[in-house]
Amino acid sequence: MSGVVEEYPSLIPVINRFGIRLGLGDQSVQELCGTYSLDTDFFLTVINTFLNEEYFPEKKLQSFHTSQIIDYLQKTNHFYRQNQLPNIERHLSYFIKGSTGNQSLSLIGDFFAKFKKEFESRIEYDEKTWFPYCLALNDKLQNAAQTVSPPSPLQKEDSIEEMLADLKKIMVKHLSGQYDENLCYAVIVAINNLQKDIKQQNRIRYRILAPMVNAMENTANK
Amino acid sequence: MQKTKQIAIILPDTLQSTGLQSLLTDYFPPVEIACFNSYESLISDGVEHFDYYFTQADVFVLNTDYFLPRRSKTVILLDKEIACPSSTGYYTLNIYDSQELIIEHLQEILVAETVHTTEKNKELSSRETDVLKLIVQGSTNKDIADKLHISLNTVLSHRKNITAKLGIKTVSGLTFYAIMNGLLPSDFIG
Repeated sequence: MSGVVEEYPSLIPVINRFGIRLGLGDQSVQELCGTYSLDTDFFLTVINTFLNEEYFPEKKLQSFHTSQIIDYLQKTNHFYRQNQLPNIERHLSYFIKGSTGNQSLSLIGDFFAKFKKEFESRIEYDEKTWFPYCLALNDKLQNAAQTVSPPSPLQKEDSIEEMLADLKKIMVKHLSGQYDENLCYAVIVAINNLQKDIKQQNRIRYRILAPMVNAMENTANK
Repeated sequence: MQKTKQIAIILPDTLQSTGLQSLLTDYFPPVEIACFNSYESLISDGVEHFDYYFTQADVFVLNTDYFLPRRSKTVILLDKEIACPSSTGYYTLNIYDSQELIIEHLQEILVAETVHTTEKNKELSSRETDVLKLIVQGSTNKDIADKLHISLNTVLSHRKNITAKLGIKTVSGLTFYAIMNGLLPSDFIG
Protein backbone atom coordinates (compact mmCIF):
# COMPACT_ATOMS: atom_id res chain seq x y z
CA MET A 1 0.00 0.00 0.00
CA SER A 2 2.72 2.47 0.93
CA GLY A 3 4.22 2.08 -2.56
CA VAL A 4 0.96 3.12 -4.21
CA VAL A 5 0.54 6.10 -1.91
CA GLU A 6 4.10 7.22 -2.55
CA GLU A 7 3.42 7.10 -6.25
CA TYR A 8 0.04 8.82 -5.94
CA PRO A 9 0.01 11.18 -2.95
CA SER A 10 -3.39 12.43 -4.09
CA LEU A 11 -4.76 9.24 -2.52
CA ILE A 12 -3.83 10.41 0.97
CA PRO A 13 -7.05 12.36 1.57
CA VAL A 14 -9.00 9.39 0.23
CA ILE A 15 -7.44 6.85 2.57
CA ASN A 16 -7.71 9.38 5.40
CA ARG A 17 -11.44 9.48 5.06
CA PHE A 18 -11.52 5.73 5.51
CA GLY A 19 -9.74 6.40 8.79
CA ILE A 20 -6.35 5.21 7.57
CA ARG A 21 -3.48 7.44 8.61
CA LEU A 22 0.05 7.64 7.32
CA GLY A 23 2.74 5.53 8.85
CA LEU A 24 1.52 2.70 6.66
CA GLY A 25 4.59 0.55 7.20
CA ASP A 26 4.77 -2.51 5.00
CA GLN A 27 1.16 -3.53 5.33
CA SER A 28 -0.62 -4.80 2.26
CA VAL A 29 -4.02 -3.43 1.29
CA GLN A 30 -5.66 -6.51 2.74
CA GLU A 31 -3.80 -6.26 6.04
CA LEU A 32 -4.63 -2.57 6.32
CA CYS A 33 -8.29 -3.21 5.68
CA GLY A 34 -8.13 -5.88 8.37
CA THR A 35 -6.57 -3.48 10.84
CA TYR A 36 -9.18 -0.80 10.16
CA SER A 37 -12.09 -3.24 9.70
CA LEU A 38 -12.79 -2.11 6.15
CA ASP A 39 -14.35 -4.07 3.33
CA THR A 40 -11.31 -4.65 1.12
CA ASP A 41 -13.35 -4.97 -2.02
CA PHE A 42 -15.15 -1.69 -1.46
CA PHE A 43 -11.99 0.12 -0.43
CA LEU A 44 -10.12 -1.06 -3.52
CA THR A 45 -12.97 -0.15 -5.85
CA VAL A 46 -13.09 3.40 -4.49
CA ILE A 47 -9.33 3.81 -4.63
CA ASN A 48 -9.25 2.57 -8.20
CA THR A 49 -11.89 5.02 -9.36
CA PHE A 50 -9.62 7.77 -8.07
CA LEU A 51 -6.53 6.38 -9.72
CA ASN A 52 -8.08 5.83 -13.09
CA GLU A 53 -10.77 8.25 -14.11
CA GLU A 54 -11.92 5.97 -16.89
CA TYR A 55 -12.61 3.21 -14.41
CA PHE A 56 -16.10 3.27 -13.04
CA PRO A 57 -17.60 -0.18 -12.45
CA GLU A 58 -21.28 0.67 -12.01
CA LYS A 59 -22.50 -2.89 -11.55
CA LYS A 60 -19.89 -3.64 -8.98
CA LEU A 61 -20.48 -0.46 -6.98
CA GLN A 62 -24.21 -1.05 -7.03
CA SER A 63 -23.64 -4.46 -5.53
CA PHE A 64 -22.40 -2.95 -2.28
CA HIS A 65 -24.80 -2.24 0.53
CA THR A 66 -26.69 1.07 0.53
CA SER A 67 -25.42 1.87 4.00
CA GLN A 68 -21.84 1.33 2.84
CA ILE A 69 -22.22 3.77 -0.04
CA ILE A 70 -23.90 6.32 2.21
CA ASP A 71 -21.29 5.91 4.88
CA TYR A 72 -18.63 6.67 2.31
CA LEU A 73 -20.48 9.70 0.95
CA GLN A 74 -20.91 11.00 4.49
CA LYS A 75 -17.21 10.66 5.06
CA THR A 76 -16.44 12.60 1.89
CA ASN A 77 -18.89 15.33 2.87
CA HIS A 78 -17.27 15.54 6.26
CA PHE A 79 -13.88 15.80 4.62
CA TYR A 80 -15.06 18.64 2.37
CA ARG A 81 -16.46 20.55 5.30
CA GLN A 82 -13.60 19.94 7.72
CA ASN A 83 -10.66 20.05 5.35
CA GLN A 84 -11.05 21.13 1.78
CA LEU A 85 -13.34 24.12 2.20
CA PRO A 86 -11.32 25.62 5.08
CA ASN A 87 -8.17 24.91 3.11
CA ILE A 88 -9.35 26.89 0.10
CA GLU A 89 -10.60 29.63 2.39
CA ARG A 90 -7.27 29.92 4.12
CA HIS A 91 -5.35 30.24 0.87
CA LEU A 92 -7.94 32.56 -0.55
CA SER A 93 -7.89 34.93 2.39
CA TYR A 94 -4.11 35.31 2.18
CA PHE A 95 -4.42 35.73 -1.56
CA ILE A 96 -7.01 38.49 -1.21
CA LYS A 97 -5.33 40.26 1.71
CA GLY A 98 -1.98 40.13 -0.07
CA SER A 99 -3.09 42.57 -2.73
CA THR A 100 -5.23 45.31 -1.28
CA GLY A 101 -7.25 47.32 -3.68
CA ASN A 102 -7.51 44.66 -6.34
CA GLN A 103 -11.21 44.43 -6.95
CA SER A 104 -11.10 41.29 -9.02
CA LEU A 105 -9.68 39.39 -6.05
CA SER A 106 -12.39 40.41 -3.66
CA LEU A 107 -14.96 39.46 -6.28
CA ILE A 108 -13.38 36.03 -6.44
CA GLY A 109 -13.77 35.88 -2.68
CA ASP A 110 -17.47 36.74 -3.06
CA PHE A 111 -17.89 34.08 -5.69
CA PHE A 112 -16.29 31.49 -3.47
CA ALA A 113 -18.47 32.50 -0.54
CA LYS A 114 -21.51 31.95 -2.72
CA PHE A 115 -20.21 28.58 -3.81
CA LYS A 116 -19.53 27.60 -0.24
CA LYS A 117 -23.03 28.49 0.83
CA GLU A 118 -24.56 26.44 -1.94
CA PHE A 119 -22.25 23.53 -1.29
CA GLU A 120 -22.94 23.56 2.43
CA SER A 121 -26.65 23.55 1.85
CA ARG A 122 -26.24 20.51 -0.37
CA ILE A 123 -24.26 18.75 2.35
CA GLU A 124 -26.87 19.67 4.90
CA TYR A 125 -29.61 18.33 2.66
CA ASP A 126 -27.64 15.09 2.29
CA GLU A 127 -27.20 14.67 6.02
CA LYS A 128 -30.64 15.69 7.18
CA THR A 129 -32.86 14.58 4.35
CA TRP A 130 -31.53 12.49 1.51
CA PHE A 131 -29.30 9.99 3.32
CA PRO A 132 -31.81 9.33 6.11
CA TYR A 133 -34.44 8.75 3.46
CA CYS A 134 -32.26 6.27 1.56
CA LEU A 135 -31.53 4.38 4.75
CA ALA A 136 -35.15 4.38 5.84
CA LEU A 137 -36.16 3.05 2.47
CA ASN A 138 -33.60 0.31 2.72
CA ASP A 139 -34.77 -0.47 6.23
CA LYS A 140 -38.34 -0.66 5.11
CA LEU A 141 -37.52 -3.19 2.42
CA GLN A 142 -35.56 -5.34 4.80
CA ASN A 143 -37.72 -5.19 7.89
CA ALA A 144 -41.08 -4.21 6.49
CA ALA A 145 -40.98 -1.05 8.55
CA GLN A 146 -43.59 1.69 8.16
CA THR A 147 -43.88 3.69 5.00
CA VAL A 148 -41.41 6.39 4.13
CA SER A 149 -42.29 9.30 1.93
CA PRO A 150 -39.76 10.72 -0.47
CA PRO A 151 -38.31 14.11 0.49
CA SER A 152 -38.85 17.17 -1.62
CA PRO A 153 -35.79 17.71 -3.75
CA LEU A 154 -33.27 20.39 -2.95
CA GLN A 155 -33.91 23.54 -4.87
CA LYS A 156 -31.06 23.71 -7.25
CA GLU A 157 -29.52 26.87 -8.56
CA ASP A 158 -26.18 26.57 -10.22
CA SER A 159 -24.63 23.16 -10.11
CA ILE A 160 -21.79 22.72 -7.66
CA GLU A 161 -19.49 21.26 -10.27
CA GLU A 162 -20.14 24.05 -12.75
CA MET A 163 -19.55 26.75 -10.16
CA LEU A 164 -16.16 25.36 -9.29
CA ALA A 165 -15.25 25.04 -12.95
CA ASP A 166 -16.24 28.68 -13.48
CA LEU A 167 -14.27 29.81 -10.46
CA LYS A 168 -11.17 28.19 -11.85
CA LYS A 169 -11.81 29.46 -15.35
CA ILE A 170 -12.34 33.01 -14.12
CA MET A 171 -9.03 32.98 -12.31
CA VAL A 172 -7.21 31.61 -15.31
CA LYS A 173 -8.90 33.74 -17.94
CA HIS A 174 -10.13 36.91 -16.34
CA LEU A 175 -7.83 37.76 -13.44
CA SER A 176 -6.48 41.29 -13.56
CA GLY A 177 -4.43 43.76 -11.54
CA GLN A 178 -1.73 43.05 -8.99
CA TYR A 179 -1.70 39.74 -7.20
CA ASP A 180 0.67 37.25 -5.62
CA GLU A 181 1.42 34.48 -8.12
CA ASN A 182 2.38 31.96 -5.51
CA LEU A 183 -0.78 32.36 -3.47
CA CYS A 184 -2.84 32.40 -6.62
CA TYR A 185 -1.41 29.05 -7.61
CA ALA A 186 -2.13 27.65 -4.14
CA VAL A 187 -5.76 28.70 -4.45
CA ILE A 188 -6.13 27.17 -7.90
CA VAL A 189 -4.54 23.89 -6.83
CA ALA A 190 -6.85 23.71 -3.83
CA ILE A 191 -9.88 24.40 -6.01
CA ASN A 192 -8.71 21.86 -8.53
CA ASN A 193 -8.36 19.17 -5.87
CA LEU A 194 -11.84 19.82 -4.56
CA GLN A 195 -13.20 19.82 -8.08
CA LYS A 196 -11.70 16.42 -8.82
CA ASP A 197 -12.98 14.97 -5.59
CA ILE A 198 -16.49 16.27 -6.15
CA LYS A 199 -16.47 14.80 -9.62
CA GLN A 200 -15.81 11.39 -8.08
CA GLN A 201 -18.43 11.91 -5.43
CA ASN A 202 -21.01 13.01 -7.98
CA ARG A 203 -20.44 9.90 -10.04
CA ILE A 204 -21.23 7.81 -7.00
CA ARG A 205 -24.22 9.98 -6.08
CA TYR A 206 -25.88 10.11 -9.46
CA ARG A 207 -24.82 6.88 -11.08
CA ILE A 208 -24.78 4.55 -8.06
CA LEU A 209 -26.86 5.77 -5.15
CA ALA A 210 -29.63 7.44 -7.18
CA PRO A 211 -30.34 4.32 -9.31
CA MET A 212 -30.20 2.17 -6.16
CA VAL A 213 -32.79 4.38 -4.51
CA ASN A 214 -34.95 4.31 -7.63
CA ALA A 215 -34.86 0.54 -7.67
CA MET A 216 -35.79 0.41 -3.98
CA GLU A 217 -38.65 2.84 -4.55
CA ASN A 218 -39.99 0.69 -7.33
CA THR A 219 -39.84 -2.43 -5.19
CA ALA A 220 -41.41 -0.64 -2.24
CA ASN A 221 -44.33 0.60 -4.32
CA LYS A 222 -45.24 -2.83 -5.61
CA MET B 1 -11.77 24.91 -26.70
CA GLN B 2 -10.99 22.52 -29.50
CA LYS B 3 -13.76 20.72 -31.24
CA THR B 4 -13.84 16.97 -30.64
CA LYS B 5 -12.71 15.21 -33.79
CA GLN B 6 -14.91 12.33 -34.90
CA ILE B 7 -12.71 9.61 -36.30
CA ALA B 8 -13.55 6.33 -37.99
CA ILE B 9 -10.97 3.56 -38.09
CA ILE B 10 -11.77 0.90 -40.65
CA LEU B 11 -9.17 -1.84 -40.24
CA PRO B 12 -9.61 -5.60 -39.98
CA ASP B 13 -6.50 -5.96 -37.82
CA THR B 14 -7.53 -5.50 -34.19
CA LEU B 15 -4.05 -4.69 -32.92
CA GLN B 16 -3.46 -2.15 -35.65
CA SER B 17 -6.70 -0.41 -34.96
CA THR B 18 -6.19 -0.49 -31.19
CA GLY B 19 -2.70 0.94 -31.59
CA LEU B 20 -3.86 3.73 -33.83
CA GLN B 21 -6.74 4.45 -31.52
CA SER B 22 -4.47 4.80 -28.53
CA LEU B 23 -2.04 7.08 -30.38
CA LEU B 24 -4.89 9.34 -31.44
CA THR B 25 -6.43 9.38 -27.99
CA ASP B 26 -3.15 10.06 -26.21
CA TYR B 27 -1.62 12.60 -28.53
CA PHE B 28 -4.53 14.33 -30.24
CA PRO B 29 -7.34 14.86 -27.76
CA PRO B 30 -10.17 15.52 -27.85
CA VAL B 31 -11.15 12.72 -30.23
CA GLU B 32 -14.06 10.37 -30.46
CA ILE B 33 -13.15 7.18 -32.23
CA ALA B 34 -15.31 4.49 -33.76
CA CYS B 35 -13.60 1.28 -34.87
CA PHE B 36 -14.94 -0.93 -37.64
CA ASN B 37 -13.44 -4.19 -38.81
CA SER B 38 -14.85 -3.84 -42.32
CA TYR B 39 -16.37 -1.38 -44.74
CA GLU B 40 -19.72 -3.14 -44.28
CA SER B 41 -19.77 -2.54 -40.55
CA LEU B 42 -18.93 1.13 -41.12
CA ILE B 43 -21.91 1.45 -43.46
CA SER B 44 -24.28 -0.47 -41.23
CA ASP B 45 -23.40 1.89 -38.36
CA GLY B 46 -25.24 4.55 -40.33
CA VAL B 47 -23.12 7.53 -39.31
CA GLU B 48 -22.94 9.78 -42.34
CA HIS B 49 -20.06 11.93 -41.43
CA PHE B 50 -16.71 11.59 -39.71
CA ASP B 51 -13.98 14.20 -39.61
CA TYR B 52 -11.36 11.63 -40.56
CA TYR B 53 -11.23 8.08 -41.88
CA PHE B 54 -8.31 5.75 -41.31
CA THR B 55 -8.26 2.66 -43.45
CA GLN B 56 -6.02 0.44 -45.54
CA ALA B 57 -5.39 0.41 -49.27
CA ASP B 58 -7.58 -2.54 -50.26
CA VAL B 59 -10.59 -1.25 -48.35
CA PHE B 60 -10.08 2.09 -50.04
CA VAL B 61 -9.70 0.59 -53.51
CA LEU B 62 -12.73 -1.67 -53.16
CA ASN B 63 -14.94 1.17 -52.02
CA THR B 64 -13.81 4.14 -54.02
CA ASP B 65 -17.40 5.28 -54.45
CA TYR B 66 -17.43 5.98 -50.76
CA PHE B 67 -13.88 7.14 -50.18
CA LEU B 68 -13.11 9.24 -53.25
CA PRO B 69 -15.52 12.02 -52.31
CA ARG B 70 -13.97 11.89 -48.84
CA ARG B 71 -10.37 11.58 -49.92
CA SER B 72 -9.27 14.82 -48.31
CA LYS B 73 -10.30 13.33 -44.97
CA THR B 74 -9.04 9.82 -45.56
CA VAL B 75 -5.76 8.44 -44.33
CA ILE B 76 -4.52 5.21 -45.87
CA LEU B 77 -2.26 2.95 -43.88
CA LEU B 78 0.50 1.50 -46.01
CA ASP B 79 2.46 -1.56 -45.05
CA LYS B 80 5.25 -1.09 -47.54
CA GLU B 81 7.25 1.68 -49.05
CA ILE B 82 5.14 2.81 -51.95
CA ALA B 83 6.15 5.88 -53.84
CA CYS B 84 3.10 7.99 -53.33
CA PRO B 85 2.77 11.18 -55.28
CA SER B 86 1.56 13.78 -52.88
CA SER B 87 -0.71 15.22 -55.52
CA THR B 88 -3.16 12.32 -55.23
CA GLY B 89 -5.02 14.29 -52.61
CA TYR B 90 -5.23 11.75 -49.87
CA TYR B 91 -3.02 11.11 -46.89
CA THR B 92 -0.92 8.04 -46.24
CA LEU B 93 0.72 6.66 -43.15
CA ASN B 94 3.44 4.05 -43.24
CA ILE B 95 2.89 1.55 -40.45
CA TYR B 96 6.58 0.61 -40.37
CA ASP B 97 7.66 4.14 -39.52
CA SER B 98 8.86 4.83 -35.99
CA GLN B 99 6.26 6.00 -33.50
CA GLU B 100 7.85 9.43 -33.48
CA LEU B 101 7.52 9.76 -37.24
CA ILE B 102 3.95 8.47 -37.25
CA ILE B 103 2.95 11.02 -34.63
CA GLU B 104 4.57 13.73 -36.67
CA HIS B 105 2.60 12.70 -39.76
CA LEU B 106 -0.62 12.51 -37.77
CA GLN B 107 0.11 15.97 -36.48
CA GLU B 108 0.42 17.34 -40.00
CA ILE B 109 -2.78 15.67 -41.08
CA LEU B 110 -4.93 16.52 -38.08
CA VAL B 111 -3.69 19.99 -37.33
CA ALA B 112 -3.74 21.21 -40.94
CA GLU B 113 -7.45 21.69 -40.71
CA THR B 114 -7.91 23.15 -37.26
CA VAL B 115 -5.63 26.16 -37.69
CA HIS B 116 -7.95 28.39 -39.62
CA THR B 117 -11.09 27.52 -37.69
CA THR B 118 -9.89 28.73 -34.28
CA GLU B 119 -10.47 31.93 -32.39
CA LYS B 120 -13.75 33.51 -33.22
CA ASN B 121 -14.55 36.93 -31.96
CA LYS B 122 -14.64 36.64 -28.19
CA GLU B 123 -16.16 40.06 -27.52
CA LEU B 124 -19.82 40.11 -26.66
CA SER B 125 -22.11 41.93 -29.07
CA SER B 126 -24.11 44.78 -27.60
CA ARG B 127 -27.26 42.66 -27.65
CA GLU B 128 -25.46 39.86 -25.84
CA THR B 129 -24.29 42.38 -23.29
CA ASP B 130 -27.89 43.49 -22.71
CA VAL B 131 -28.92 39.87 -22.19
CA LEU B 132 -25.99 39.26 -19.85
CA LYS B 133 -26.94 42.23 -17.68
CA LEU B 134 -30.46 40.92 -17.33
CA ILE B 135 -29.34 37.37 -16.58
CA VAL B 136 -27.17 38.44 -13.68
CA GLN B 137 -29.95 40.59 -12.30
CA GLY B 138 -31.95 37.41 -11.96
CA SER B 139 -34.32 37.79 -14.91
CA THR B 140 -35.82 34.64 -16.35
CA ASN B 141 -35.56 33.94 -20.05
CA LYS B 142 -39.17 34.98 -20.44
CA ASP B 143 -38.53 38.32 -18.68
CA ILE B 144 -35.55 38.98 -20.90
CA ALA B 145 -37.54 38.24 -24.05
CA ASP B 146 -40.28 40.65 -22.94
CA LYS B 147 -37.92 43.43 -21.91
CA LEU B 148 -35.82 43.34 -25.04
CA HIS B 149 -38.76 42.60 -27.37
CA ILE B 150 -37.15 39.49 -28.77
CA SER B 151 -38.35 35.90 -28.98
CA LEU B 152 -37.57 33.27 -26.37
CA ASN B 153 -35.51 31.40 -28.92
CA THR B 154 -33.38 34.45 -29.55
CA VAL B 155 -32.76 34.76 -25.82
CA LEU B 156 -31.66 31.14 -25.69
CA SER B 157 -29.32 31.57 -28.61
CA HIS B 158 -27.82 34.71 -27.03
CA ARG B 159 -27.27 32.77 -23.82
CA LYS B 160 -25.60 29.99 -25.72
CA ASN B 161 -23.28 32.45 -27.44
CA ILE B 162 -22.43 34.20 -24.19
CA THR B 163 -21.44 30.92 -22.58
CA ALA B 164 -19.47 29.91 -25.64
CA LYS B 165 -17.60 33.21 -25.84
CA LEU B 166 -16.82 33.62 -22.15
CA GLY B 167 -16.59 29.95 -21.23
CA ILE B 168 -18.63 30.72 -18.11
CA LYS B 169 -21.73 28.69 -17.36
CA THR B 170 -23.10 29.73 -14.00
CA VAL B 171 -24.96 32.88 -13.05
CA SER B 172 -22.43 33.51 -10.26
CA GLY B 173 -19.61 33.34 -12.78
CA LEU B 174 -21.39 35.67 -15.18
CA THR B 175 -21.99 38.12 -12.34
CA PHE B 176 -18.28 38.23 -11.68
CA TYR B 177 -17.60 38.88 -15.35
CA ALA B 178 -20.21 41.63 -15.53
CA ILE B 179 -18.85 43.49 -12.51
CA MET B 180 -15.25 43.13 -13.66
CA ASN B 181 -16.15 44.60 -17.01
CA GLY B 182 -18.11 47.49 -15.59
CA LEU B 183 -21.50 46.23 -16.77
CA LEU B 184 -22.81 46.30 -13.22
CA PRO B 185 -22.04 48.49 -10.22
CA SER B 186 -19.32 46.94 -8.06
CA ASP B 187 -21.58 46.79 -5.01
CA PHE B 188 -24.07 44.65 -6.89
CA ILE B 189 -25.13 41.59 -4.93
CA GLY B 190 -26.18 38.75 -7.19
